[in-house]
Amino acid sequence: MSNTLASLTGVRKRYGKITALDGFDLSVKRGELLSLLGPNGAGKSTAISLLLGLQSADQGEVRLFDRPPQEIDARRRIGVMMQEVALPGVMTCRELLEQVAGYYPLPYEVDALIHRLALGNIASRRYDKLSGGQKRQVQFGLALVGRPELMFLDEPTVGLDVQAREALWRVIRELLHEGCSIVLTTHYLEEAEALADRVAVMARGKLVTSGSVDEIRAHVSRKQVSLVSKLSADTVRGWPEVLSLAMERDRMQITTRAAEPLLQRLFREDPQLADIEVRRAGLAEAFTELTNENTQEARS
Amino acid sequence: MSTATAMPAGRLWSAYFREIRCEFLKSWRTPAFAVPTLFFPVMFYVLFGIFLGSMRGNADQALITFANFGVFGAMGPGLFGFGVSLAIEREQGLLTLKQALPQPPGAYLLARACMAMLFVAVISVLLTVMAVTLGEVPLTFGQMTQLFFIDTLGALPFCAIGMYMGSLVSGQASPAIINFVFLPMAFLSGLFIPLQVMPVMLQKLAPVFPAYHQSQLALATVGRGNADDAGMHVAVLAGVTLLFFLLAVKRMHGSGFRLLGAHPKRALGTAAVVAAGLVALSFSGVFGGKSTESEDANAATGAGSAATDTPAPSVEAGPPAGVPAPPEGLIANFDAGSAQSPYGIGIQANGDQFQGGKSTASQQLVEGGANGSKGALEITGEVRPGTQYPSAGAFFFPEGPPTEGLMDYTKKKTLSFYARGDGKQYTVLVLSGTPVRMPPLMLGFTASPEWQKHEFQIENLGAADWQRVRLIGWMQTTQGAFQFQLDDIRLE
Repeated sequence: MSNTLASLTGVRKRYGKITALDGFDLSVKRGELLSLLGPNGAGKSTAISLLLGLQSADQGEVRLFDRPPQEIDARRRIGVMMQEVALPGVMTCRELLEQVAGYYPLPYEVDALIHRLALGNIASRRYDKLSGGQKRQVQFGLALVGRPELMFLDEPTVGLDVQAREALWRVIRELLHEGCSIVLTTHYLEEAEALADRVAVMARGKLVTSGSVDEIRAHVSRKQVSLVSKLSADTVRGWPEVLSLAMERDRMQITTRAAEPLLQRLFREDPQLADIEVRRAGLAEAFTELTNENTQEARS
Repeated sequence: MSTATAMPAGRLWSAYFREIRCEFLKSWRTPAFAVPTLFFPVMFYVLFGIFLGSMRGNADQALITFANFGVFGAMGPGLFGFGVSLAIEREQGLLTLKQALPQPPGAYLLARACMAMLFVAVISVLLTVMAVTLGEVPLTFGQMTQLFFIDTLGALPFCAIGMYMGSLVSGQASPAIINFVFLPMAFLSGLFIPLQVMPVMLQKLAPVFPAYHQSQLALATVGRGNADDAGMHVAVLAGVTLLFFLLAVKRMHGSGFRLLGAHPKRALGTAAVVAAGLVALSFSGVFGGKSTESEDANAATGAGSAATDTPAPSVEAGPPAGVPAPPEGLIANFDAGSAQSPYGIGIQANGDQFQGGKSTASQQLVEGGANGSKGALEITGEVRPGTQYPSAGAFFFPEGPPTEGLMDYTKKKTLSFYARGDGKQYTVLVLSGTPVRMPPLMLGFTASPEWQKHEFQIENLGAADWQRVRLIGWMQTTQGAFQFQLDDIRLE
């Protein structure tokens, strides 16, 4: 039995003049949680759409359980949670779960699932009477109810409070333990760190890098330093600690791998330095930067 | 880990069934959809058919509006159920999610179509109950069943049209745009106001609309139309359904929605077999043979005649169009010593005794016609109370026996005749009709003491069906004795 549940091989996809995927490769292995990361417009949604059979690739091969994903038999083995979807508000949670459970050959018992996801108190309420977070929980339930071998989760914890998010993460870990595979797209670095076995980073329709969370973490050791200074931007840009610098009105936005030495030098040169903020670069930002470097390397 | 488990057939069937149930619940629990679609046809029927119809002694209106509001009821669930919901669910991602999930092929469309048909079935039953109880419409069980099937299956063309519109317009705009199709179509198909009273241009436009064809089928069932055309109407409705369905599927496919699953041709094949079965069923069982039609027609006619002021007997079914009128324009000039005409049954005087009235009329040939011609026809008589609309006069049946013959006068342009008499106001009556019995066309003229020519351009007389003329009459409707002469009657 193949260990690869889903794969994109050399896939190209264009929308008019925009190239969404440009020779993209990705494979999802049995039992892993693969987190797909990347800035907006990187091609994450397109990649997922192709794997779900919602679109067809212009070039390359898309497989889901060794079949084209348009085949319903392939999709009977997956569960899907999408980011933007309005479910029929007049139906109750239980009715929605029962309806979707009916699409699968061997789904979970709806009552057992309601219990597992702690949806008991909202099970018989109409969907449109639920809070945003509760709706996300029901949508997660719909992705899970068919007892899928592979789940696609798109921003599953948006709108959840801390407790609900922790609870969802716990269920996800249990599922992984039971052998379920998951493709997670998220903007939250912490979420990927907390759950992912493997991270794939996309930018501009290509795979930039993929590896374990620890491997990836090295790429995001850089920090963003933001401050107001009377030093000239060109001077600071020339310092070896500075990877890049941009001016936003009167604020300098500096990306660096060595925040502490940089700050010491800044204070030395400009004692009136004010309004300092230091933060870890977002994963997406870091990799946008990474691809910039890649592109420049490729050019030179 | 398990390998893929095959989907048991039983589970697949129950998935389809559950989908239908969910779709029905969704619509049922949405008052903005359920209330107007269920309530309006019934409310309109109670208003037009019962309050303004049977309760005022107009049993015919209670019957005709019953058939027509069934069609009106069949339009809403399909148009709005598909149009608005498809537009909204397409935009809001539900359709995308359902496509990513293993929803069985075609289940979305099937469930919506069944939902629409269920709603129409409820409307049809409600209307029938209203018609039989409050409206006292005499319906046979066969007629009720036929109408039920015509209404319910008749939801399908509107589902297809709604589906196509839902694939085009935005969710927010869809209710307004669909209303823009829905209400004018209902009106122009003659569901609210008989087509016969509309301008000729609009009458000619009516067959463009599927609701017209469905209305003709429904009217034929209650004996107010031509059952021989049923096959054509069914074919048009099936064609409209198929056309808009394919357009919608193509359009949705272009936006990445595989509504029929991964193998659309296989799904279409299955649908075609089912559709062929339904059509075969409707031809054999639902629309029935001609003999049942005419029996039903007669059964329904008995109660329906008080409404109209026609001196002619009530006649329903007949050939689709009349016999083409002969080339000669002359109908009668009375110069050869008889009231015969070159075609048809000659001019005959008649009162209203056959309607239970007491009015009388007789005719005699007289000398001294118009423009110095030899003869003319004089009609004398008396209009007396005794029936709802007493009348008497002279009548011409252009084609054969009065209960069957229809003549197609569409090639002719002008109706003209000379008249003189007692100075009273008279009426020219043109009775035409099938598939629907038309309200009679009535034109006033005065029989002045001197010969005077009266001329009417047919194209201006939209309120008659000139393709199917049954009778032309010259009559007096005011009580009292009357006397007038006719000469040189032409339709050319």
